[in-house]
Amino acid sequence: MAAKTRQTRQAAVIGGNRIPFARANGKYARASNLDMLTATLDGLVARYGLAGERLGEVVAGAVLKHSRDFNLTREAVLGSRLAPSTPAYDVQQACGTGLEAAIAVSNKIRLGQIESGVAGGVDTASDAPIAVNEDLRRILVALNGARSASARLKLLGKLRPGQIVPEIPQNSEPRTGLSMGEHAAITAKEWGVSREAQDELAAASHRHLAAAYDRGFFDDLVTPYLGVTRDDNLRPDSSVEKLAKLKPVFGRGEDATMTAGNSTPLTDGSALVLLGSDEWAAEHKLPVLAHFVDAETAAVDYVHGRDGLLTAPVYAVPRLLERNGLTLQDFDFYEIHEAFASTVLATLKAWEDPAFSKERLGLDSPLGSIDRSRLNVNGSSLAAGHPFAATGGRIVASLAKALHEKGSGRGLISICAAGGQGVVAILEAVK
Amino acid sequence: MALGALYAKAAVGAVLPGRGKTLPDREIAREGLTVDLGHLADYARVCGFALTDTLPMTYPHVLAFPLQVELMACRAFPLPLPGLVHVANRITAHRAIRAGEPLDVRVRAERFAAHPKGAQVDLVAAVSVAGEPVWDGRSTYLARGGSAPTGFAGEMPEMSDVDGPASAVWRVEKDTGRRYAAVSGDVNPIHLNPLTARAFGFPRAIAHGMWTAARAVAALQGRVPDAATYEVLFRKPLLLPSAVELVTQPARGGWNLSVRNRRTSAAHLAAQVH
Repeated sequence: MAAKTRQTRQAAVIGGNRIPFARANGKYARASNLDMLTATLDGLVARYGLAGERLGEVVAGAVLKHSRDFNLTREAVLGSRLAPSTPAYDVQQACGTGLEAAIAVSNKIRLGQIESGVAGGVDTASDAPIAVNEDLRRILVALNGARSASARLKLLGKLRPGQIVPEIPQNSEPRTGLSMGEHAAITAKEWGVSREAQDELAAASHRHLAAAYDRGFFDDLVTPYLGVTRDDNLRPDSSVEKLAKLKPVFGRGEDATMTAGNSTPLTDGSALVLLGSDEWAAEHKLPVLAHFVDAETAAVDYVHGRDGLLTAPVYAVPRLLERNGLTLQDFDFYEIHEAFASTVLATLKAWEDPAFSKERLGLDSPLGSIDRSRLNVNGSSLAAGHPFAATGGRIVASLAKALHEKGSGRGLISICAAGGQGVVAILEAVK
Repeated sequence: MALGALYAKAAVGAVLPGRGKTLPDREIAREGLTVDLGHLADYARVCGFALTDTLPMTYPHVLAFPLQVELMACRAFPLPLPGLVHVANRITAHRAIRAGEPLDVRVRAERFAAHPKGAQVDLVAAVSVAGEPVWDGRSTYLARGGSAPTGFAGEMPEMSDVDGPASAVWRVEKDTGRRYAAVSGDVNPIHLNPLTARAFGFPRAIAHGMWTAARAVAALQGRVPDAATYEVLFRKPLLLPSAVELVTQPARGGWNLSVRNRRTSAAHLAAQVH
């Protein structure tokens, strides 16, 4: 007999909690992924009165993981004040991790499989896993499995002094050997994104984030951690003039437009959002900030194809709009993750370009321009920093709160990720 | 003075005449102590706590411990510091303490009394923030063969060792004593290496009681309310290295705990937190 068809329902964003993001090898240098995720979870539990509660699921992840972090999210739940009967699992989709986790939780809520859940992620570029040299690792693995003394001796004879040099994780694509910044520089050049435009976007990010802190926007979204009360990458006095003085770090010659000021720094931090059904929120006397409407993922062939590493959201958004019968202009807020200022600007240019839209996106007419005053209104990754898996949670909670403050409208989230992937989503204010 | 130097001074003092017969009427205080986050991270790592902005329940003990030693190392203190055995400990946390709060710590000695095996004394620590009591600690030490005036010794909590299946097995490494000494300042030679421990009659180095107590309550991080009392009785010394079992049982809104040897089942620690 066929299962009874279930009516899907709304998934609500109830709130969020994150710790201030800190530049790598700084204030959080001694904190592990588990430390930060546990602290963030306990902050969320304290804010929403969830101590001892069994939630439907906690889903989070980290991009840079130690082998001991295999069940990271479950371990964080066990060390937190949530009921130990709360299930948890890890996801990993590079910088899309946090948003993908929120999609997973909200989909289960919409299907009625769970009533509540927590989603997000954590990353530390400071307490990063360093592995033994690959040659040494192979010898050690074989040594562990060797049955006889002579076999062991033979393996020990393969040890070389050079093997002591460890493998340090690198921010580069395995298939291309290029760093993310080098990939982004290719796209910036392709779209002719100017240095000035990038610096303007970066300065705006700092200005918006500082203003948001000043007006108390983050008071119920951020819990101080290890003495840090604000994202320590934030430069409230950042300006186009100051940014213009920085030397380019990615790209070559005249095409070198990307600097440390208009690229995100390596950052440590974690962020989580609380999701639930409207009924669960009402039962717990918690406000619904926004509804999680829909999401789409896309991927591009950045290795052998023509697309840039961080351009997958360019493809994801038109598909999401089509499915929801919306245009790009139907949004009150745009949260486009600032991996690099040039990434945001190239994405916007692609959506405006008739030829690209027709040939590559298969659209009769381009998506068009957006009202730039609606872009990243409370700051984004250039100012806050970007602990890879934590960015999705930061954005979902901030956008939901912005929609709640406005009282109407909808917001678009677009996050690019390593591996040529993109995750995008729509949130809507509660009417 | 560094704690190692205080130990040395106390060791010399132990053989000199002039020791007091009663407790010195003295309180040692430090005001406005701030927690060093690097030290907190080290402590959390050694004892198994997650690094958060809330101090582990047992952390203030390491802030008070140097003051305890200073008091016990003074000539007038009636019991010799070397050879004192930590037999019981009681911690009451009145609320969560955030790492950034300036802490006032006061330490004094009381309840100097005869014990069936010698003499015992309590070192009492009180931690407050701007006059608000936030944490109390009471460490009971025994001097085997020591003598004391008959008097009120304080009631030892009645605790039976919790039986039942282990909730965790710990392999306690041989450097555990050195690692905890580095974060607690308790450089008593019985914890540092087998040779120095043997000089005091132990076959091997032994773990610090407060490490075992911290490691046990760390296993319940997230399950114990911010305001709670943690009472511990130290049983047989935990020889390093060892495999031990942690047993936890819910009881009266809190937990009963024991740490026992995996091989012999001998109890190292009995505790309750509620």
